[in-house]
Formats: sequence, C-alpha cells, structure tokens
Amino acid sequence: MFLGCLAVGAGALALPDGLAQPTAGWLRDTVFRPLLWLQVRGEEDRTSRSRFRALQADRDSMAVASHSVKGLLAENDRLRAVLGIRARAPSRTIPAEVLHQSVPTDGRTILLSVGRDGGVAGGDPVAAPEGLIGVVVNAGVRTSVAMTWAHPDFRVSAVTEDGAILGIAAPAQTFEASEAFLELRGVAYRDTVATGVMVMTSGLGGVYPRGIPIGRVAGVRREELGWERVYRLMPLGNPGHVAHVLVVKARGAVAVSDSLP
Amino acid sequence: MIATRRGTGRIYLAFALLLALHFYVRPRIWDGRAAPDFLALGLILFALRTRPGVAAIVGFLVGLLADTLTPARFGANALAHTVLAYTAAWGRAVFFPDNLLVNAGLFAVGIWVRNVLVMLLSATPVAQLGPELLVWAPLQALSTAVAGVVVVFVLRDWFAIRLEA
Repeated sequence: MFLGCLAVGAGALALPDGLAQPTAGWLRDTVFRPLLWLQVRGEEDRTSRSRFRALQADRDSMAVASHSVKGLLAENDRLRAVLGIRARAPSRTIPAEVLHQSVPTDGRTILLSVGRDGGVAGGDPVAAPEGLIGVVVNAGVRTSVAMTWAHPDFRVSAVTEDGAILGIAAPAQTFEASEAFLELRGVAYRDTVATGVMVMTSGLGGVYPRGIPIGRVAGVRREELGWERVYRLMPLGNPGHVAHVLVVKARGAVAVSDSLP
Repeated sequence: MIATRRGTGRIYLAFALLLALHFYVRPRIWDGRAAPDFLALGLILFALRTRPGVAAIVGFLVGLLADTLTPARFGANALAHTVLAYTAAWGRAVFFPDNLLVNAGLFAVGIWVRNVLVMLLSATPVAQLGPELLVWAPLQALSTAVAGVVVVFVLRDWFAIRLEA
C-alpha cells in the first residue's frame, strides 16, 4: 500500500501543470468542498472588534482621500482631451478572501474564496491594497488559485513611476535575511534607477493593467557585464500575510504588439 | 497495539475534530506560517495507532488535500505526508507514545521533516531552503508540538493512553 501511494504521488508530481491545476480544481469543487466551506466560514467569522476598528480607520482615511479624486479625474480628462489620448478603459474588481494553508509552499500560490461563479477567470491579476500579489492560474467554480510573485515562474512587465524605464519584475532566487524579494531585470546599463523609486505594472503583455504598484527599488543587485543592471525590488504586497485581495478584471491592458511602432 | 473497534471509532472522531480545528478554528485565531498544523497533527496521532499500510493511505489522502489547496507543486504534499504517516506508524514500535514529552518530540520532528520534504519535492532553490529549515519549519514544529500536547492531554481517554509525564 505504501509503495502504491508513493507511486501515485510520484505520478501526480510528474503531471504537467496544464493537467495538475484542473485536477486540483476539480477536487476542490467536489470532494474537498465541505472543508473549504468550513474554512471560508472561519475566515468570515474572524472579523474581530480590533479588526473591525482597523477597517473602520481605513475606510475613514479613504473617505478623506477620496474628496480630491473628483477634481483629479476632471483634470485628467481635460489633459487627455488636450493631448488627444483616449480615456483609460475602466476596470472592475472582485473582492476575495485568502484561504491560507499550513504547508510551507503557501505563499507561492494562494487559494481565493471566489471562483468562476463570482466572475473570476484564469489570467486575472490579483492585488492587495498595498500592491500587486499575483495572477489567477486556475479558477474553479467557487474558489480559485493565484500564482503569487514569490512563485519561481512569476514574471510581470514593469515600469518606473515616471514611465521612463521599463523592465521585467521576477522573483529573486535567493533570500536575504529570511526575506523574499523581487528583481527588476532588463534595465539598460545606460539607465539608472534611484533607490526608493516606485515600480508598477506597465500594462504591456495583455495580462496586468497599467499602474498597479509592485514595489520600491532597494538598490542595484548585480550588473551584467556592461549591458544590463538588475535592481533589487522590495515588494509592497505580502502574499504570506494578506487576508483580503482584489481580483482585477482588466480591460485596459495593452498587447505587446500594439505597443510596437 | 492495534486499536479496538470502539477505540478506532474514537480515533476517527478525534481526527474529524482536528479537521474542524484546522479548517474552522485555526483561520479564526492564527493562520500565519508558524501556526500549528492540526491536519498533520491528526495524521500523526492517527498513524501512531494504526497499521502502516492504512496510515500510508490516510497520509496520501491528507497530502492530496494539501496539494489541492496549495497546488504550487501538485503531488509534493501527497508524497511527503505518505512518508510521514508510514514512518510514524512504524515509529510506534520504537517510541513509547505514552509520554507527553515523547509525543511533543514526535509531533515536532514530524512537522519539520514534512516541511523539508515538501520544500525539496517542490523544487525549491537550495538558497531558499535555509530560512525554511532554520526558521519557519522549527517555529511551526514548536507550535504544533504545543498544540499536540494539549490535544493528547485533553483526549487521553479517547486515545487510551496513560500519561507518564
């Protein structure tokens, strides 16, 4: 029996991602659904008094900040009209709770409490209020799985806050002081990015809309023989601790082919 | 010592109770990376009181559940939990699970080994193994051991054990 279980486990390990993710999704929607239902109830019931106060404080801050939004939007529309730039397509968000698990790989992928019946689809970006978390890789009926920036396969097209320097953000393959971080790769050697500069999604590639914060530059990580600099990027969203996220239904992403002359 | 039918029923009941603790109580109280893993705790307690073959199958199912909920590398948890349960079932012949400290040690070592196996089978880069091996796995092992001691103490009649310490 032991050897049989080992053989089946090894077989599952050898499954390609295209087969493994749907299998996991099917199991979540059928056999293990009652357990997930229980965990979703547990997450919902967690809203304690202190957490409620924190949310209330956040809401009050947002209300104050939103007073200036109307003016900014009107100004933005006027400037776009003057420069002849078309209006940015609106995007909508779907709130979701993160169902953390107790295995060490939790954080590379996270389980979300909404699925296809909530409007989530594979390829939707996932963001926390602080910044980008990842992208949905499999959407089941009631839950979905997102690959976070800590996953070795994660990549996102990035740009500095001022829009001057483009690069690719990817997870670093090493840890420093027990902390995972990102790298901003592909920055031309002639370009310099100062420490502390905010890096956000560029909107290229058709997956992530432009303007989701990714992280702040924390210095040069390495230089590739005079043609590229790789910067260390401190991510803003922490997939290991985040409790609530927003699934972004992107409408304004730009395909790479559209951005070329 | 293979459990009697009544004893087996209680062990299954205890396992169900730990499942509820894992999926309902843990998210409400503490679901950080160092939080106790009641699922693995239930598996070890179950494996210590059953045959190795049965333990391997239950371990595989628990691992499959973990893989389904965290599919960073599908199959890694199934393999790791199978090995954990099978080893724990054989370990009964070597250890004496009637001592609280021995129980705590088994839980801690089991969780640490499980985490290391999952990280290795998930193709984690060697540089990233350090923090897991030295920080997170020991912390989770410690918290699970403490939770395990409490569970064993409270449910000692169900597990039919006479605690020595």
